[in-house]
Amino acid sequence: MFSIVKHQELAPKVHRLSVQAPVIAEKAKPGQFVILITDDKGERVPFTISGWDREAGTVDFVFIEVGATTRKLATLGPGDQLAHFVGPLGLPAKIDHYGHVVTLLSGYGLAAMVPILRALKEQDNRITSILQAPDQERLFEMETLTELSDELVLAVGTRGEHMTESATMALRQLLGNHRRVPVDRVIAMCSICLMRVASEMTRPLAIKTLVHLTPVMVDGTGMCGACRLSVKGANRFACVHGPEFDGHEVEGWDVLMARRCTYADESILQQGFQCRGCSQW
Amino acid sequence: MSEIKDPKALEQPAKAKKPKINLNRLEMPKQEPADRRRNFNEVATGYTYEMAMEEAHRCLQCKKRNCQDGCPVNIDIPDFIHALQQGDIKEASRVLKTKTSLPGVCGRVCPQEVQCEKHCTLNKKGAPIAIGRLERFIADWERSQGGFTLPEMAPSSGKKVAVVGSGPSGLTVASDLAIRGHQVVQFEALHVAGGVLVYGIPEFRLPKAIVRREVEYVKTLGVDLRLDTVIGINYSLDELLNGEFHAVYLATGAGLPKFLNIPGENLNMVYSANEFLTRTNLMKAYLYPEYATPVKIGKRVAVIGGGNVAMDSARCSVRLGAQEVCVIYRRTRAEMPARLEEVENAEEEGVKFYFLCNPTALLSDGRTNVSAMELVRMRLTEPDESGRRRPVPIPGSETIMDFDTVVVSLGTSPNPLISSTTPDLEVTRRGTVVADEHGKTSKARVWAGGDLVSGGATVISAMGEGRRAAAAMHEFLSNGRKKIIPPSPATE
Ligand SMILES: Cc1cc2nc3c(=O)[nH]c(=O)nc-3n(C[C@H](O)[C@H](O)[C@H](O)COP(=O)(O)OP(=O)(O)OC[C@H]3O[C@@H](n4cnc5c(N)ncnc54)[C@H](O)[C@@H]3O)c2cc1C
Ligand code: FES
Repeated sequence: MFSIVKHQELAPKVHRLSVQAPVIAEKAKPGQFVILITDDKGERVPFTISGWDREAGTVDFVFIEVGATTRKLATLGPGDQLAHFVGPLGLPAKIDHYGHVVTLLSGYGLAAMVPILRALKEQDNRITSILQAPDQERLFEMETLTELSDELVLAVGTRGEHMTESATMALRQLLGNHRRVPVDRVIAMCSICLMRVASEMTRPLAIKTLVHLTPVMVDGTGMCGACRLSVKGANRFACVHGPEFDGHEVEGWDVLMARRCTYADESILQQGFQCRGCSQW
Repeated sequence: MSEIKDPKALEQPAKAKKPKINLNRLEMPKQEPADRRRNFNEVATGYTYEMAMEEAHRCLQCKKRNCQDGCPVNIDIPDFIHALQQGDIKEASRVLKTKTSLPGVCGRVCPQEVQCEKHCTLNKKGAPIAIGRLERFIADWERSQGGFTLPEMAPSSGKKVAVVGSGPSGLTVASDLAIRGHQVVQFEALHVAGGVLVYGIPEFRLPKAIVRREVEYVKTLGVDLRLDTVIGINYSLDELLNGEFHAVYLATGAGLPKFLNIPGENLNMVYSANEFLTRTNLMKAYLYPEYATPVKIGKRVAVIGGGNVAMDSARCSVRLGAQEVCVIYRRTRAEMPARLEEVENAEEEGVKFYFLCNPTALLSDGRTNVSAMELVRMRLTEPDESGRRRPVPIPGSETIMDFDTVVVSLGTSPNPLISSTTPDLEVTRRGTVVADEHGKTSKARVWAGGDLVSGGATVISAMGEGRRAAAAMHEFLSNGRKKIIPPSPATE
């Protein structure tokens, strides 16, 4: 059993849980994830690790209430226990000194990207973060994101100072300026549609673009193949070869998007990103 | 099922008369196909006491123990059957347990027809003793008695061993070494112990209560079972060796699914057998929504492959409500690696078989869901040097069949999580770990066995390899004079 030590509501239907899991805290790296099971009859659900405290032995993750499991999680607090908690799974995000890094964030990515931003900052990168949210109310982690980003662009559906309606517009502007203010790398942890669009936008400019993919997973250790996708002609498992992939090498985005939604109507996944106009909805 | 003979005849002591040859091999009672198509309860319900006695009395107690030689772990088959003939089930159980730690499992899933029963003298007459069914009867009897008869435990050796993986191979080594006085910590990546026995083999073939009991038994022996712990992630193999453990046994199985590498394989509703079976069995999707994990299944299901895993996938599909389930296999019935009994069970349950067919593409319905399969007809070549007849496609014979669900069951290979983080552990091109007949690997103080070494075999062979490795490990641990064995050179 794994004890929950803290529960914070970050925004409406957005929560952060801290779980006592010293073995995971010990080795967690930016971009990795955990899989948890709430109780004996629960499903295995993956969550990106949004922070950890090695000394206290705790691991944090942020989730959006969507399906049965996340609704259940939202009711848990200190003193409650999770039946199972395993990780850190997946490969860590690649971190180095790149220069100017643009990050695209939405949904739980606002929190889950924080460890990556922190590591990038330690490598002296200049960071521009584009945040997408449906409205101001559903923005969170603003303080940390402001502190870690040299520039912050908000895309919350209303125009204003430092604001545009959509993240793609913001990215287009930055890319338009690429010759004067070069973008050395794009890292996206946001809706799959946005990651796909961003990858297509940066392709002609050959700007390395990394996307954090979260297909449906079951075991999370490379055993079931539920999370497979085609990368440069080869079958890859997001849980062991990812979840970070080169967006220009990912093939079959349509299939990837459809597979992600296979179980959406069964309310299984924390499909944090529900996209408007998606054929699967 | 044949009739039970006059009960008085059963009471006669076995040695009274020279046994007459009785070729009436007793079938096990089974749920009717029409019923079992709709539930996940065990198909075969097992012998009654009378049936077990009658079957046991058919045994001729041959001097030459051919059956025993046919058993991968050399169970003293004539002896346990002899005990049964005497009506001493407790003794039969004791005999069984000296060679197998998992009789309730092996009695159900072992391919006896190519092992012990194949070598039975009465097999020449087409009616071998139903050794597996008797084994199962004894194990079930023991289980019904509640509690465990604990073996004699050796005093503590002060040595600590890590066992990685909790399938049949790992469970065997854990219990063998615990009994010999070593402190055992067993690591399991999943949230339940049992390996393929819990995530792969369905409830209707192997009730999970049986596996749970075996795991409980291992825990009563003092084995410290740590679930949710992935070696290669939480601890590397070198960390285990450089830390508290004197020796390590690797039994992580062959969990990595193979795919066909044909167009359309990643379409929606195309599953690996591992995913399909894990959802259904480990996560209990057949009880959704009481259990939170769903499994989606369409009306027409194709299962690609001809092994036990394919049979299990097909039979789960039937039970989950598919209207038509077809097994697609590129060779013929004769080459199918699945157990004959399971093929027959599948057929009785309405599964259809398409032999000499190979999928060449999966087609989309336009919304990235699978809707059809393109197949090519195959023919078998003349036997090559190894005597094997290879399937080759017949050009121009492509056809298309409609399917809305596809389960790919082409076998598995070992998960590279440990080997990729342990450069000095020798592996083959297929990803299996190289080990000698005692399970010793290329790396000091590390043994391995089960599917991780064989690449995918049987429960009994995984157990047998565990047995042999445990013996070798025990010898090593007992000879190590120094308390602390110097760690192998750091490799990080
Ligand atoms: C569906 C199906 C049906 C089958 N039917 C039969 C049958 O009828 N008869 C028969 O004899 N055989 C059958 N087999 C084969 C048989 O189940 C296997 O040969 C046997 O289970 C192998 O045992 P094992 O202990 O080597 O590995 P496994 O049973 O695979 O156990 C390995 C365990 O190690 C764990 N693990 C893996 N990696 C790690 C890690 N890095 N850290 C910690 N833990 C890890 C896994 O989660 C797993 O629990 C079947 C197999 C399948 C899949
Ligand atoms: S989640 Fe099963 S292989 Fe990735």
